[in-house]
Amino acid sequence: MSKTTDPSRRRFLGGAGLLAVGGYPARALARVKAPHAAEMLGPSREVFSFCDMCYWRCGLKIRVRDGRAVKIEGNPEHPNNRGVVCAKGNAGLMAAYDPDRLKFPLLRMGERGAGKWKRISWDEAYDRIAAAFLKAKEQYGPETLAMIGHGTWEKPYHRLAHAFGTPNTTSPVFGLCCGPRDVANQLVAGRPLGGNETLDLENCRYFLMMGRNITESLHNGETLGWVEAVAKGAQVVYVDPRYTITASKAKEWLPIRPLTDHAFLLALIRVMIEERLYDTEFVAAYTLGLEELERRVARYTPEWAEEECGIAAKDIRRIARELAAHAPAALVYSPRRLTRTSNDLGTGLAISILNTLLGVWDREGGIFSPLSFPVPEPDLPPFPHADAPRADGAGVEGVWPLANAQYGLTNQMWSAIAEQKPYPIKLLLTAGGNGFMNSTDFDAIRRAIGQLDFFVAADIAPNEMNQYADILLPEASYLERYDDLQTGGAKEGFVAVRMPAMKPLHDTRDAWTICKQLAGRLGLGAWFPHASAAELIDERLKKAGLSLAELETKGIVKKPADPARNFPREHGLPSVFPTPSGKVELVPSRLKALGMDDALDYLPQVRPQDGEFHFTFGRVGFHTHARTQNNPWLADLMGENELWIHPDAASRQGIRDGDRVEVADRNSRKETLRAKVTRRIRPDTVFMVHGFGHFDPRMRTAHGKGAADANLASRDRDGHLGTVAMGRSLVRVRKL
Amino acid sequence: MTKKYVMLADATRCINCKACVIACRAEWGTPLGHSRDWVREVEMEGPGGMPDLMLLPGRCQHCDDAPCVESCPSGAAYQREDGVVLVDHELCSGCELCVPACPYDARFLNPETGTVSKCTFCQPRIDAGQPPACVGTCVGRALVFGDANDPASEVSRLLQEKEWLRLTSDGVNVGPNHYYHTGGRPLPPEALPKPTTPHVQGRLLEEVVNPLAGAGLLGMAGVFVAAGMKKLLDRRSEVQRQEGGHHD
Repeated sequence: MSKTTDPSRRRFLGGAGLLAVGGYPARALARVKAPHAAEMLGPSREVFSFCDMCYWRCGLKIRVRDGRAVKIEGNPEHPNNRGVVCAKGNAGLMAAYDPDRLKFPLLRMGERGAGKWKRISWDEAYDRIAAAFLKAKEQYGPETLAMIGHGTWEKPYHRLAHAFGTPNTTSPVFGLCCGPRDVANQLVAGRPLGGNETLDLENCRYFLMMGRNITESLHNGETLGWVEAVAKGAQVVYVDPRYTITASKAKEWLPIRPLTDHAFLLALIRVMIEERLYDTEFVAAYTLGLEELERRVARYTPEWAEEECGIAAKDIRRIARELAAHAPAALVYSPRRLTRTSNDLGTGLAISILNTLLGVWDREGGIFSPLSFPVPEPDLPPFPHADAPRADGAGVEGVWPLANAQYGLTNQMWSAIAEQKPYPIKLLLTAGGNGFMNSTDFDAIRRAIGQLDFFVAADIAPNEMNQYADILLPEASYLERYDDLQTGGAKEGFVAVRMPAMKPLHDTRDAWTICKQLAGRLGLGAWFPHASAAELIDERLKKAGLSLAELETKGIVKKPADPARNFPREHGLPSVFPTPSGKVELVPSRLKALGMDDALDYLPQVRPQDGEFHFTFGRVGFHTHARTQNNPWLADLMGENELWIHPDAASRQGIRDGDRVEVADRNSRKETLRAKVTRRIRPDTVFMVHGFGHFDPRMRTAHGKGAADANLASRDRDGHLGTVAMGRSLVRVRKL
Repeated sequence: MTKKYVMLADATRCINCKACVIACRAEWGTPLGHSRDWVREVEMEGPGGMPDLMLLPGRCQHCDDAPCVESCPSGAAYQREDGVVLVDHELCSGCELCVPACPYDARFLNPETGTVSKCTFCQPRIDAGQPPACVGTCVGRALVFGDANDPASEVSRLLQEKEWLRLTSDGVNVGPNHYYHTGGRPLPPEALPKPTTPHVQGRLLEEVVNPLAGAGLLGMAGVFVAAGMKKLLDRRSEVQRQEGGHHD
């Protein structure tokens, strides 16, 4: 990609190079004879896509030269990013050009995980997979297959698994990430606010950020909207044990005691009700349960909360009043990953209740109603009815009824496989993802893999999980393939396309082709009637009055924003809340029916004993989860993580900045890394950036760099949802 | 009217996400270990001992009195009428005299080309009517680029509306065309340009040795021998300077 000319003429100063001086008079003359020749951009074309470097999915224009993707730019028409692209998105080129990629199908030769492989043909791979799948299905029934996916391309694997007849498909998005937040909003308002958050950020005037590190857990359009609001003078109160870049943009940083957000929020609710700060008109017209809520929060005084969470009672009262003064252009901003405590549902409910008391639903500067762009799915035969309940218990009455049955509880699925309960799971199909680094239980995952008859993994790059596969299928990267359409709900409705920017660089195939071909071997071809992903999306688009050819010239087609539908209550129109009662339920009826309304009440969390710390982890703006540490461009920005520790705590342990330290939890799980001594964290808390500590030697850039937070984060659960309570680990730190 | 290109960086909008750094790397194929642009994260102590951060995106400041141009013996470093400071790679010998002359550490020897590389304000892009890669991708829209001589441009409007600082000090003011808005806070000392003693040496070369260039081969050889010697002498001090390097 370098634009300069012949490098061989350089370095004349080195050694004998001085003899080359004779070649320079002409250049000396050229110096006198400026102008200098200006560099020009080379010829190129652009194709449209949407990003796959994280889960926000920004619109892209990819510049192609000589059949190769050379530069990624943002699509200004796309509401998810409005033309800007983060470092991760810009480094997407290196996801394709990564020298460590999976380049052809592999068959395991040695022990699982030993790293001995043989290249095989796609046909042989499919034949072996089909034989193993059909044998296990015969012996154990179709539910013996578990499918764990992570990424855009998981969709056809879900379809393949359901056609096979198993209910056991899962993705970390619920149980390891957003589940509690989405369920809470669903229970209270019937509107989960999941996926791409529908918050009118630009017009918000007051943000109470509950650990939502929006500048580093970064989604372009969301971050940009927030930055715009802050630039226009919106106030930010940032609540987090750690001083992040987001904190540096705030008027106020409140270093709350870890795991006690719920206490702070309950006291805010109490003050808001006690002082009648809430939107009385909205609450009267649209909500149920205020009296019961008032009774339930009566004991959560600001003084009680101060004791629990460390935020002064007077600040709690003041913040409640400030929120109310700015409402409805005020937001209590939930963290996206709300899997921290054993009552994350309570935290999510409190956030949803506060936003309701502030009356921000369907108001400018608050929460908007998104438009959609309906594009019909293809007509497929109904999936065979699965007799067995989900093995992870997600959505199963008597187990985890509130957990999302589409994405399931990935952590519980690993445990179910490890224990072979409630029934044998002998087949595992994974599509992207990395169970080791995105879950919190290495031991359960190793035991689970040990129980399998057959494990097939599909991915574009090596990682700890797929190194245990029996067959490894290499996927084309998102720059090398079509995918299913992106249909979105922002203020605008939209449908966007992903086109290949180049032919696959290696002997890889896209997920749709892989699933279709596998389905053929398994006798499930009826569920994959389209020859290719391109044909699938063309058929879908034609049903919506569009075509692939048209979308390829535009990248995105939008239904314009409609203020009356985005903000009905600004336009004299009613809001709609699809709850059982049709009202916003401050004490959700479904929770009561399940006997789970204790989630509304405070559940005390763990506290460190002498010498222990709360263990926390989080993101930087230029790495995605555990997926990008091997990307050479992003590793150049941060190649390993560090343990953030407060100077007071560090000096007690004799730790200086840059020292190597060992971090150990109460279960003697251990990781080592370098210390970063900084005032940007509470003295009772340590922190590390998520996703490092890779131990797969095939990841040549990331291998052995930094520490795996996943091996220290807690394995506890939220008692109502089954989601992971990752924040409950207490650790000790020792200088090495 | 002649254009006058300037870069504005609003530190209050910068989130140190490094999108600019990677977009630049992607656009210009900069080898790993080097970068044409950077974001400097300065940790400070705020009121009451609380932490405070300032985020300063940076790159070549395209100075009016560019010391790199003065220090370049081959004429490869030059400035266009619109203010953009460029390297003519046909002329650059890779002698690196310009590297220590820059008070902003904006120049480096590209090991792949053997010539000196730096931010060009994305000259090929701006000449084709596109924004610089860093500006186009900037997530917080902290970077704004344009023609300060055009009163209708966004940069002209912003220069009027907000308070802007430049990275200058009592000792070093070479007329940078890169502006910073910090929301009224003073620039931290770490962000200010370093005194460039090497620049004085470069000046000697420029004023004493360079005029020989017109005298043909012998003079040119003299220039380059002197430059080579200087390069060797500079190496030791360069190691020291790199300790404060900010290309992270």
